[in-house]
Amino acid sequence: MSTSGPLRDATDATLVARAVDGDVSAFEVLARRHGPLMRVYAEQVLGSNVESDDVVQESFLTGWRKLPDLEDAARFRPWIMQIVTRRALDRLRRRRHHDDVDTVERPADPRTGPERTVETRMQLDAMWAALDRMPVDQRRCWLLRETAGYSYQQIAEELELPTSTVRGLLVRARRFLAAEMEGWR
Amino acid sequence: MTTDDLPLPDDDLDGHTIEELADYLDRGRTPVDPSIEGSAACRLAMTNMQRLRELSVGALERRADAEPDREAGWVDRLLEAIRAEVRPGRDVPVAHPDPRLQLALTEAAVRGLVRRAGDTMGGVVMGRCTLDGDLEQPGAPVRIDVTAGLVYGEPVEATADRLRRTIAEAVERHTGLVVDAVDVRFDDVYLP
Repeated sequence: MSTSGPLRDATDATLVARAVDGDVSAFEVLARRHGPLMRVYAEQVLGSNVESDDVVQESFLTGWRKLPDLEDAARFRPWIMQIVTRRALDRLRRRRHHDDVDTVERPADPRTGPERTVETRMQLDAMWAALDRMPVDQRRCWLLRETAGYSYQQIAEELELPTSTVRGLLVRARRFLAAEMEGWR
Repeated sequence: MTTDDLPLPDDDLDGHTIEELADYLDRGRTPVDPSIEGSAACRLAMTNMQRLRELSVGALERRADAEPDREAGWVDRLLEAIRAEVRPGRDVPVAHPDPRLQLALTEAAVRGLVRRAGDTMGGVVMGRCTLDGDLEQPGAPVRIDVTAGLVYGEPVEATADRLRRTIAEAVERHTGLVVDAVDVRFDDVYLP
């Protein structure tokens, strides 16, 4: 698929404008640019890498359809992340009402990537490892709060938990991560 | 909230809770709350929170960077679904010497033509494109509004002129429309 030069470096705002006009290749660049992060995020929220591809694909399709509603085209990433969050939570809800599955495969070890300093990389790997070790209910609350920007009440509603439980999970998550990352300051 | 649910109480934050501080951070620390900003414990807690928040996103990004191509098949499946949904818009007639033949381009295709004309001209990255006028009428005058990013170092006026001419020529060559005006607005600047 030849994604021509100018589009690959175009800003999200430009790509959104073009995609709203029906430019599929512009949307493709958005999907390739933000898809990988959304997948990792969905994996972590779901506690599973089995469903994350589907969630991300469905979310981008929804995104394409709703793109004209996106008011600030430069805010594509947080906007699509909200859609991914919603989709992932739908899955969780469905799962919860079938049987309790939080016992799913975890993704494999992180590999090395380019373009960050060694120390930053190691710190981020340590953070990843810490997130990975965290119990899935804590991690889910944490990511909804800190990555997707959900309020305590929204998290409680979405996960069908009392707000006080969410508060407790977040306290634990924060303590856990703070302790794990203590050595990195 | 009951104490049963909260076996790990928040640290002493001069009467504030972590939850309040998180909301305050989300609001970009505005309006300024002097009782929070005046508390060293709160400021420290917020610094730590901010750090963990950035590290969380950073860790996910790093992970995503490390596996850019892990099963990229979903993008192809996505694009297939999307192509079926492109809104075609109005039909724009295309002149043909044989009056018995009727040809038309969809409005979406004409916008694609405009974008392509600009992108291949060099010096700009095309953005939005709006076609205004009675497109379904052969020979009707139309106005075309486009936004574009200007490549840094290109002269603004000369590039806008060149873009106007390029677009008008492309549209008139491929459709039966008469281009009345092309409005160009540069809304971004790109490094070459």
